[in-house]
Amino acid sequence: MSPATPPERPSPDPQRFEVSRGTLLLDRAMTQLIRVGGLAVILAVFGIFLFIVKEIIPLFSAAEVEAEEVVRTPGGAPAVLGVDEWGTKPFLYRGGDEVVVVDIRDGAREVLPVPSLEGVEVTAVSYDPVHRRVAVGLADGRVGSFRVNYQTEFDDAGGRRIVAAVEAEPWFEVGVGEGPVKALGYGDGGAERILVAARGNGLAALRLGQKRALIGKPKLTLTGTSDLSGQVSAEVATTVASQNGKAALVATADGKVSYFLVEGGELVLKQVFAPFGDQPPVRMDYLFGGVSVAMTGASGDQKVYSLFRPEGSSERLFGETKEFAGLGEGRPFFAQSLRNKSFLTGAGRQLSVRHLTSGATRWEGELEFEPVAATFDGKTEHFFIAGPQGEVQRFEFDDPHPEAGWRAFFGKVWYEGGSEPVYQWQSTGGSDDFEPKLSLVPLIIGSLKGTFYALLFSVPVALLAAVFSAAFLPHDMKRVVKPAMEIMASLPSVVLGFLAGIWLAPIIEDKVPSILLVCLSLPLSALIFGVVWSRQPRQVRARFEGGREWIVLLPVVLLVSWAAWSLGPVLEKVAFVYRDEASGRAIADFRLWWPQATGLSFDQRNSLVVGFMMGFAVIPVIFTIAEDALSNVPKTLTAAASALGASRWQVVRSIIIPVASPGIFSALMIGFGRAVGETMIVVMATGNTPVTEWNIFSGMRTLSANIAVELPEAAPGSTHYRTLFLGALVLFLLTFFLNSVAEVMRQRLREKNKLV
Amino acid sequence: MAQTNTAFATTGRSRKGEPFVWLTAAGLTIGVILTLGLLGLVVVKGLEVFWPARLVVLEVEPAEGSGQGTAAGTVAGYVVQERVRRDLAGKTHEEIQVFRGNRELHGEKFVFLDRADIAETRQPGDLLLVERLEGGHVIGRAGALELAGGERLEAGAAGFDERLEQLIEESAGRREELKRIEKDQIGRNAKRVKELNLEAKLAGSDAGVAAELAELREEFERLDGERGEIRERLEADHFVVESADGREIRLAGGELLHVFRPNEAGFLGRLGEMFRRGWTFLSSDPREANTEGGVYPAIFGTVVMTLVMSIFVTPFGVIAAIYLREYAKQGHLVRAVRISVNNLAGVPSIVFGVFGLAFFIYFVGGLVDDTFFPDAEEPVYKSGGILWASLTLALLTVPVVIVATEEALAAVPRGVREAALACGASKWQAIQRVVLPASLPGILTGVILAMARGAGEVAPLMLVGVVKSAPDLPIDGVAPFVHPERQFMHLGFHIYDLGFQSPDSEAAKPMVFATTLLLISIVVVMNLAAIVIRNRLRKKYATSSF
Repeated sequence: MSPATPPERPSPDPQRFEVSRGTLLLDRAMTQLIRVGGLAVILAVFGIFLFIVKEIIPLFSAAEVEAEEVVRTPGGAPAVLGVDEWGTKPFLYRGGDEVVVVDIRDGAREVLPVPSLEGVEVTAVSYDPVHRRVAVGLADGRVGSFRVNYQTEFDDAGGRRIVAAVEAEPWFEVGVGEGPVKALGYGDGGAERILVAARGNGLAALRLGQKRALIGKPKLTLTGTSDLSGQVSAEVATTVASQNGKAALVATADGKVSYFLVEGGELVLKQVFAPFGDQPPVRMDYLFGGVSVAMTGASGDQKVYSLFRPEGSSERLFGETKEFAGLGEGRPFFAQSLRNKSFLTGAGRQLSVRHLTSGATRWEGELEFEPVAATFDGKTEHFFIAGPQGEVQRFEFDDPHPEAGWRAFFGKVWYEGGSEPVYQWQSTGGSDDFEPKLSLVPLIIGSLKGTFYALLFSVPVALLAAVFSAAFLPHDMKRVVKPAMEIMASLPSVVLGFLAGIWLAPIIEDKVPSILLVCLSLPLSALIFGVVWSRQPRQVRARFEGGREWIVLLPVVLLVSWAAWSLGPVLEKVAFVYRDEASGRAIADFRLWWPQATGLSFDQRNSLVVGFMMGFAVIPVIFTIAEDALSNVPKTLTAAASALGASRWQVVRSIIIPVASPGIFSALMIGFGRAVGETMIVVMATGNTPVTEWNIFSGMRTLSANIAVELPEAAPGSTHYRTLFLGALVLFLLTFFLNSVAEVMRQRLREKNKLV
Repeated sequence: MAQTNTAFATTGRSRKGEPFVWLTAAGLTIGVILTLGLLGLVVVKGLEVFWPARLVVLEVEPAEGSGQGTAAGTVAGYVVQERVRRDLAGKTHEEIQVFRGNRELHGEKFVFLDRADIAETRQPGDLLLVERLEGGHVIGRAGALELAGGERLEAGAAGFDERLEQLIEESAGRREELKRIEKDQIGRNAKRVKELNLEAKLAGSDAGVAAELAELREEFERLDGERGEIRERLEADHFVVESADGREIRLAGGELLHVFRPNEAGFLGRLGEMFRRGWTFLSSDPREANTEGGVYPAIFGTVVMTLVMSIFVTPFGVIAAIYLREYAKQGHLVRAVRISVNNLAGVPSIVFGVFGLAFFIYFVGGLVDDTFFPDAEEPVYKSGGILWASLTLALLTVPVVIVATEEALAAVPRGVREAALACGASKWQAIQRVVLPASLPGILTGVILAMARGAGEVAPLMLVGVVKSAPDLPIDGVAPFVHPERQFMHLGFHIYDLGFQSPDSEAAKPMVFATTLLLISIVVVMNLAAIVIRNRLRKKYATSSF
């Protein structure tokens, strides 16, 4: 290599600065992928919220009603309108000796004669939609009934046909009073039935019994007649018999309603009340379940009376539980749903569907004609209205969640059988006519109660520990304590719940006085020890001060706890003595003393256990966040305070804690959020009874535990299911809100500290 | 900060409020004691389950006026716990709870005895603790072996122990064989028959199908015969145990699992027995309504669910974090999104369970079933299963991964990134080659934390597919080998179910404590791993920051 020939410079490669196509393409593709993917993940996570909301919306929507074509039938206004279970073939009865069945789809008519009514004069009619029974009273004082039965027949092509038939039932003599029957009510309780009839000035209740015959159908016979004429104060206006065949309500012209009940084979007058002053109700109709009666007054007022035990009474009597908006002018009509506590009512051309439990009007509408009769089909999917010229109109009715609504979830509701409006959660019951009680209030109170007791225990421990750790603990110890706390935070809550329920609850059940003593003596002994310690010579103190105080306290705390624990029974003997009323014996037992002294209950799995174990779950959360905030107080501030002569506690109290207070507050809120949503501990450590009291020695049912326990059994799409979703949404919003506030506060604090 | 410079101190630093310092120290002390106490409790109670206790023989002679009403007699067993009971008269009784086993003799496996009633306590060396398939443990002395050919071997005779040992081994082999025949061969046979029947119903039967059905029928009969033979063989030999009160229990050879003499064994023998019990617990299926046997299916379910969850959660979490940190325009909106994502980690887990049930099972599962399994008799995907559970937990833990990844990305020094770009790397190349490798430990920490959280969650799982007993694992040898629609067992749910739904809660207690210990160990180990990785990460950045 000679210096004369300098190295040839490489000719500039024109492609040197060009980016390869592959790199560009990959870059673009990845950009798109990450944009789309990232946004999708974030949207998906927020989609949770929207999806839950979507499940809840139907709870708050009103009923949907769609009117169909009016079908006209010749003849006048029907006295009774009934329909088959599937809502296809309504029948009309006009008080003669025939029933007209109409196919609502094509208007085809079929006239069914009622042979037993041939040649008699019908003067009173009543209808029971549950059994599709028309009861009639005659001019000659007889009463009887017939039923309209529907059957499905399948033809060869597999098509379904519904066929109606009339089933006659026997006649009975009223025997009491004179003249034609002017009002009657038929109550069918299966084996036991009742027929109430008013005739002239007479009023009689016929008790009918179903005798099982050896051959053929069981025979209906008269088992006794009660003459009630003397027990009502005026002429009978209207009457209705209960669906269990054991009771009757009779309204008289002076506005009074008498309640009769079968007792020992006789009808006994139980109660007389006046729902509308001196005006008698125009209609009295039992609602689904047979516990409540809707009374409609002459001026369109509507009230519901339900059977319940008033306080101090051992008998179930009627009392007003709901008052609905007036119906307006016109002749009122009424139809009960056979599925739930909804009913269709109205006067004039106004129609409204109302729900008993929530007291809400589910739907309102106006008709083309003035209705004279109405009925629901068996599934509450259609209702039918009949007009004065024989019009029949079918309405499609869709109201899957009639019992839902703001008032049902968050307000006090007067449920059937209760003596006053209450907040109550009881979602499932034994029978079909059970009225679900869906108040979220006891659950929210339960959640707050568990959280409160958890924070009561955890906040002092966590905050004190955080202050000590941030302000005094040497760095090398901190490096162990903080990760340990993080591990504690991730302990599965099912473990804590199991320990609470199986191990802790039986231990502290009979050791409540010991627990009280421990809780009181620990902080006190620490303070006293501090006072004593600071009087010691400096040589002794110097060995342990500067962050090792907690090690000194280890034996102290253990010793004091042990002493307080053993002294518990002594305290119990002195302060918590239960006196047995009957024998006069005194027993030192807190479990017996507490209910006697406070009137509240004592359960083994109570809020104390939950508070303690849930506190365990919350302590690390609060500790970690509070410790962070306290540690990040700028050193310049604390150093300045120390330089001005502040003692180390004065630095903490007047500098560190005030500066870090937003961080401490946000730690508390995040701890609150964790405790509110905690599920397994509550499920396992409490009895899961919904309560509305703050007694520390009783259990609770929280929103989260309620979901975990009930959702697997709830039918998808049902009101119960959606209500549990509402509970989940409440939890979601509550924790999300709390955490957001906490997070914003923390970020503000961080920025503020940066400026110092 | 709190140090005083004694060289200049004249009067010493102000000591105002010193007691309050001690009060805060007490807070930490209490926290430490509670934490250690809780962990210690779980470890002690959990290990106690495996440690073979000494068997005692107690002569019970009830004293006058003792409340419990225990009958006089001899009780053999081991002490489970001691307690002090106060009766209605206010008198205290020191009581011990003894596990006596032998359910066919006593009905109850546990008995409470008043210490005052116990006349004599002995520890005879020849007491046996026999584990068997059904009915719980048997405690007593070895009586004799009644073997198939009418041969009878008295206890103490030469070769008795060896013969017993051999019998137990043989039985284990036979049970294995029986299980293979029942599960694999007969199961496959029945499945094929079902398929053929359905085929015949849909398409009309033809000769080929009928022939195969007949063949299968024949095969089934042959297998059934084999099965019956093995069963007979399992019932043929008997081991007679003499209980402490002199009665005899005849145990069929096929029932025997393990025989141990805890009083004769030395420390090492007991330690060995402890490891054997531990291994049985980890590796075998549960028996007796989960109160005996092991938790293998629950471990399997937990691990598979957590792994599937992390397969879903890692890519999505990382992509979302990269988007938020590297691609999205930093502004108020992104800040709000970031806070919200952070907060989602604090939303109660049961809310995610509710969503999983409604969305994955009823909505997505319903769609899958309608599309792919329109004529299945039972819902396939429209019911809880391990896939839906994993997805639900993935949603639950995705905020953890996003937050951790974001932090890791933010911690990569700006200079590194700029250097990569200055060298001509495209944005994606810089991320792929420089930023992601540097933040890998952080991402890993997040994933491990997410897994730890997922492994310990129970509440949402109760809604999306966990069950108390699932004999069929989600991955097994039956085609298509992976069954994402199957329900599964889970350690956390196992604890809940055993502790609170078990019909015999007293007998279930040891299993719950053992399972608790196992679950806590898993979670703690995962967390420790995350912490170690994170510390390494911090050290790395401490040296490489610009």
